[in-house]
Amino acid sequence: MHDHPTHTGPGALALVVLLVAALGVALYIGAAVRLRRRGDAWPWWRDASVAAGAGAVVAAAVLPLVTAAVLPLPGGPFTAHMAGHLLVGMVGPLLIVLGRPVTLLLRTVPVGGTRAGLLTVLHSRPAALLTAPAVAAVLDMGGLWVLYRTPLFAAMHDDTLVAIVVHLHVFAAGMLFTVAICRLDPLRRRYGLPHLAVVLLVAGAVHAVLAKTLYAQSPPGTMFAASDLQAGAQLMYYGGDAVGVALAVVLAVRWYSGVGRARHAGGVGRARARTVTVGRARRPAA
Amino acid sequence: MTGATRPGDTHGGISVRHSAISGALLGVALMAAIDEIVFHQILGWHHFYDRSTPAVGLASDGLLHTAELLVLVAGFALLADVRRRHALAVRHFWAALLMGAGGFQLFDGLVNHKVFRVHQIRYDVDVWPYDLAWIAGALVFLAAGAILWWSARRSVRTSGLSDG
Repeated sequence: MHDHPTHTGPGALALVVLLVAALGVALYIGAAVRLRRRGDAWPWWRDASVAAGAGAVVAAAVLPLVTAAVLPLPGGPFTAHMAGHLLVGMVGPLLIVLGRPVTLLLRTVPVGGTRAGLLTVLHSRPAALLTAPAVAAVLDMGGLWVLYRTPLFAAMHDDTLVAIVVHLHVFAAGMLFTVAICRLDPLRRRYGLPHLAVVLLVAGAVHAVLAKTLYAQSPPGTMFAASDLQAGAQLMYYGGDAVGVALAVVLAVRWYSGVGRARHAGGVGRARARTVTVGRARRPAA
Repeated sequence: MTGATRPGDTHGGISVRHSAISGALLGVALMAAIDEIVFHQILGWHHFYDRSTPAVGLASDGLLHTAELLVLVAGFALLADVRRRHALAVRHFWAALLMGAGGFQLFDGLVNHKVFRVHQIRYDVDVWPYDLAWIAGALVFLAAGAILWWSARRSVRTSGLSDG
């Protein structure tokens, strides 16, 4: 075991990830409890979602240890890598973003310098640029393309530091993309539903195409068994589908409640503002 | 009209247009899902990727596949909204669903299988009877939808509902 330095690497890394995740969840739940004591409404499922998201990221960090020591996953090392990729880059970020952590932070930080500073950062031009849906999509999908279609993937397996940087980027880019599409926390710019849907469509297509090419061709400089490669590629393809649908459901729920609110507020019976004729709709029901 | 008793739920009558759009979206998406589940996963006839696919076919397949998922969600969201307004034209909805399903299958059989050659229906057999059955199936769905739509329009005309 001692001539395998990589065995200590993932162990220590998993411990750090576990501690950071536990700290994050503790801070979140502490803030949510304070908010509720104050009398604000903050649904309990947001706490659960953030905890589950952090759990997904921890699971991805622990997964290599489990597959190496206890129970090899069906498929092989590439499939195991892909399961971790889905957890860190897609499932974890989605569950964390659904908990609206930035909104919670803004509501619980005392009014004053810190809060003003936070808002300045959130509403700054660089933040607006990074959270532009197309920019976030390019950072996320571009990063994946570089990872799987350059020697970076092989380098990651030789060097723990490269692996850490890559996984941090996968997580950060996944968070950014999820934030940019869902837009549940306060951001400076608003984008219409068609804009968000088109970016989600193109990003999903790029993800699907990358998964299909991985089915036939492993990343440069690596050799995986064909069955492992195929299982991993299909996991990426259908896992991407599942998270893509979840993101679309977030958009659909936002649209549904927005349309309902608008109709309720305006007292009109039509979903789309351009077809609304107030005089007709206010007429008593025939 | 009855219903729409909740406050704020004003209703402008039956919306044939929105019922039909949600039906067509769901028809397309459900047929795509059936294709994926039955032919790719259960029967294993279609290949995930058969290496002879040109790059443009692969890209179009990726876009189409993702679009199907978004269309599924959009169709359900629109259906939920139409139902919330008590504006669902049930028969138009089903007619549009059948036509959407048939339209997708026709598109899949002609463009995906034959033009872009993403994959074939079945491998290591003479494929043309399968292609023929695929396209005939699409036409049956389209015809059934069209007949239902025609009868729905007649019943709308006789009961005096307006398009919305």
